[in-house]
Amino acid sequence: MKPLIEMIGVTKDFLQGDNIIRALKETNFTAYEGELIAIIGPSGSGKSTFLTILGGLQKPTTGRVLLNGKPFSELDVKEKSKIRLDNIGFILQASNLIPFLTIKEQMVLYNKITKTKVNQSWMNELFLKLDVEKLKNKYPNSLSGGERQRAAIAKALYHQPSVIFADEPTASLDTKKAYEVVKLLAKETKEQKKATIMVTHDERMLEFCDRVYVITDGILTERPKV
Amino acid sequence: MFLALKELKYSKLKFALIIVVIVLVSYLVYFLTSLAYGLASSYTNAIEKWGSDEIIMTIDANDSIMMSFMDQDDYDSVTTTGSKTKLGLFPAVINNPTADDILGSRIDVFFFGIDDDSFIKPNQSVTLTGNKVIADDSLQKEGYKVGDIFGISGSTQTYEIIGFSKKTTYQTAPVIYMSLESWQQYRYNTQTPPDLYSGIIVRGESTIDSSNKSLLIYKTDDYISTLPGYTAQVLTFTTMIVFLIIIVAFVLGIFIYVLTIQKTSMFGVMKAQGISNGYIGGSVVLQTFLLVLIGIILGGILTLLTGIFLGDVIPFAVNVLFYVVITAAFFLFAFLGALFSVSAVLKIDPLKAIGG
Repeated sequence: MKPLIEMIGVTKDFLQGDNIIRALKETNFTAYEGELIAIIGPSGSGKSTFLTILGGLQKPTTGRVLLNGKPFSELDVKEKSKIRLDNIGFILQASNLIPFLTIKEQMVLYNKITKTKVNQSWMNELFLKLDVEKLKNKYPNSLSGGERQRAAIAKALYHQPSVIFADEPTASLDTKKAYEVVKLLAKETKEQKKATIMVTHDERMLEFCDRVYVITDGILTERPKV
Repeated sequence: MFLALKELKYSKLKFALIIVVIVLVSYLVYFLTSLAYGLASSYTNAIEKWGSDEIIMTIDANDSIMMSFMDQDDYDSVTTTGSKTKLGLFPAVINNPTADDILGSRIDVFFFGIDDDSFIKPNQSVTLTGNKVIADDSLQKEGYKVGDIFGISGSTQTYEIIGFSKKTTYQTAPVIYMSLESWQQYRYNTQTPPDLYSGIIVRGESTIDSSNKSLLIYKTDDYISTLPGYTAQVLTFTTMIVFLIIIVAFVLGIFIYVLTIQKTSMFGVMKAQGISNGYIGGSVVLQTFLLVLIGIILGGILTLLTGIFLGDVIPFAVNVLFYVVITAAFFLFAFLGALFSVSAVLKIDPLKAIGG
């Protein structure tokens, strides 16, 4: 299996007053294609530090991050931003949707920014798969929580990134909807050979994940599947 | 472009309100400009018409041409690279002796005494002799026609209008052109007046014989700024207009800034997704540009409509150059206001988009 995103010997220190706090102890982590990986841990454990370093939003103190086998964390802010735009899809708790764009326009935005052509057939396929076809001309605030997260997944997949970050994608959903969303995420991850890294609080969702990691006090450990 | 337009479409009411503010302010600014220009023009139309470079008066007159008395020796002591001509200038009050209400027919005017072959004669098709005069066409609106007679206050003398001239007002009053002799008879109220006049109008550059120490050369523009009230009025209007433009820039800048701050978390998410500062900032600037554009187009239309309907009542005059400068100033200041918001966009940390 192909590794899509890797963390090699990464640590992260923060300055708090005069003390240096090590928020992330030395961490090695690899996500392969087709994998849905869950990251769990209490708040303040270093989860978001881990995810933001992986996503190139902050620099590690030591170590490096490779994306598609290429150096990523060493690049400057602008280059990282560009690479994120093409290679990473985000599904965020509050949803990554822009309030004044219809669901269809959310997809088109990527083409406008990158000055590329709209991939109509892929968009339609995604809409059908995620069952948002009927919602494509609606604005996010007229959708239910579940619909919104399905649309968010469509958006995260539309530009065909290799890695997807999902930050508490089920936070605002009831159990049934949450299952639906995570199942869809798992299915698309497999079918399209993505690596999906999902931060969650929700233990119920772990059954759909290929691997589960726990972060406590800045230490990332894999939890054997039951 | 895409983001900016889609948001305008989505939040129509919010942006419509901002546009209303811009329309009202730009209307006020354009209108004031037209009014200021119209007023200033009515001060100086007659002077602009001379096409002169310089005006010569006596030093004793202390900038007031009505207090300047010059004779033939003064005229001869001036040499120019172009041409020169004598001008007699004095205010008068005219009336219509045939009107039922003679007092009610009084109009404040300026009498300009000129030689018949003078280059400042506004209507070359008639000859200025005796008491035959050329009147500013604003007298036509008062009902005067060619061949009509008018009298003057304080004298039994009457004058016959033999022609009209366009845009010849001086200090907002209509100008009446007559021969220098008639003017002198009026000025000194006698049939045998001294051969004096007020000033020399010069096209080209002039020099005064060094033996004549009593004359002063004014550039035409410098002379205009000595007209009573002219500078104060232009300055007042200019200050109002400049401040309005700055105020609208602030108002717009604050509006856009508040809107930008409201969208902080959304911009954070966009930045996390890899959308560049340039794209987000560009969209903020473009939105500002569009708001200003729509606002000032509507404001401009309102101004022109006002000009069409009120143009006869108020001294409303269109100066394209002023409009262009003001429009450019609007865009410049609005852009500066938008940059404020762009700097706020740059500071948004995409880290905040990802909670943990």
